[in-house]
Amino acid sequence: MKQFLKITATALAGAALGLAATYIMVSNGLSLDRALAGPWRAMPQVPATGGDPYARALIARSGQAPLGVAEGLAFTASVDSGGRKLDAACDYRVSGTMPGTRFWTLTVTDAEGRLVAPAAIPVARAGFTSSEILRDGQGGFDIRLAREARAGNWLPLAQPGAFMLTLRLYDFPLSLRAGALAAAEMPAIVAEQCS
Amino acid sequence: MKRKPLLLRPFEGLAWLVAILCVAGVVHLVTIFILPHIAPHSAYARIAQQTTTGKLILLPAIGPGREILPYEDPAVALAACTFDLARGPARLRGQLAADALMMLSFHAQYGQTFYAMTDRSALRGRIEVVIATRAQLDDIEANDAEDELPQELRLEAPARQGFILLRALAERPSLMDEARGRLASLTCENTRTDGSGRALVGILGAQSTLALARD
Repeated sequence: MKQFLKITATALAGAALGLAATYIMVSNGLSLDRALAGPWRAMPQVPATGGDPYARALIARSGQAPLGVAEGLAFTASVDSGGRKLDAACDYRVSGTMPGTRFWTLTVTDAEGRLVAPAAIPVARAGFTSSEILRDGQGGFDIRLAREARAGNWLPLAQPGAFMLTLRLYDFPLSLRAGALAAAEMPAIVAEQCS
Repeated sequence: MKRKPLLLRPFEGLAWLVAILCVAGVVHLVTIFILPHIAPHSAYARIAQQTTTGKLILLPAIGPGREILPYEDPAVALAACTFDLARGPARLRGQLAADALMMLSFHAQYGQTFYAMTDRSALRGRIEVVIATRAQLDDIEANDAEDELPQELRLEAPARQGFILLRALAERPSLMDEARGRLASLTCENTRTDGSGRALVGILGAQSTLALARD
């Protein structure tokens, strides 16, 4: 009888531990070991055959339809180029170089990847496409993230707290893969004054 | 004689710990592999709720609290078409606007993206894609004319059911309606057909000939 209890307890403890491990691996729709380029992390993609079973499980649970490799690449950033968490209490500047791609978009969301309600921000603008930003004489760009209006390319942030940026490189050349992108080719996210 | 507590019998304690870890490992692996098949809010489930099989449906615009699919770009208009190859091969066709970004991805029910393309791979601005099982593809190929190359892209789907997701970029917010219009101009077909696969190919073949004649 005692032996039976021990076996049952072992099975239950093992099952609980296994389920907990699965939950932890897939609960955050974006938490995987992913290619990194500076503060940017590649979003998971699932190829036709095989692929990472963790990526498949996580994508199925979150319900996302990831970009196919031929459509482009998506990256998220929850930290700035200095490695500090993005926080709406600060102003940020996103600038530098962009990998050569046909179109790109930069979107601000909350820390879980949801769009911010228009009531929480001064103007209803969630992002920019590469076609609509103002550029300097050399074709460079400079995007300001702040709670209050700024001159130039301004994306409003919603108070309070953490937020996330998503950079999508559409129709990205297939020969260049996420793993091959260096931090220097990606735009930098620099924190300016904080309140 | 009373036995010592478990903690003071290291070998027995260790054996139980190893047993727990083995069970945990098996449960973890099995659930990871099963999850794509049972996830209630997978992309396929979300899209199937919004569409009817074999019909191209524009998805509601992505906005705060209105995210049919998570992690989608608010600058992109979405349309989807679900297919069930038990009805026969599915077909997507249409004319694409010049130099406007349209992206197409083909997803199987349990999560694989089995093909993706953009408007740049369209032939003279026209796309025509056939999605079929291996057996259906064999039938189609058996009916091909000997001396001409097929004008359509043929994809073998890894699962019977799945969906096509179309994304059109609105380069400015004011172009969102235009982007939705570009998606709406495409058509998706997955007509239920009776009889053998061969008869079915005959019907589809006739349809594509008509479509070509119309152009």
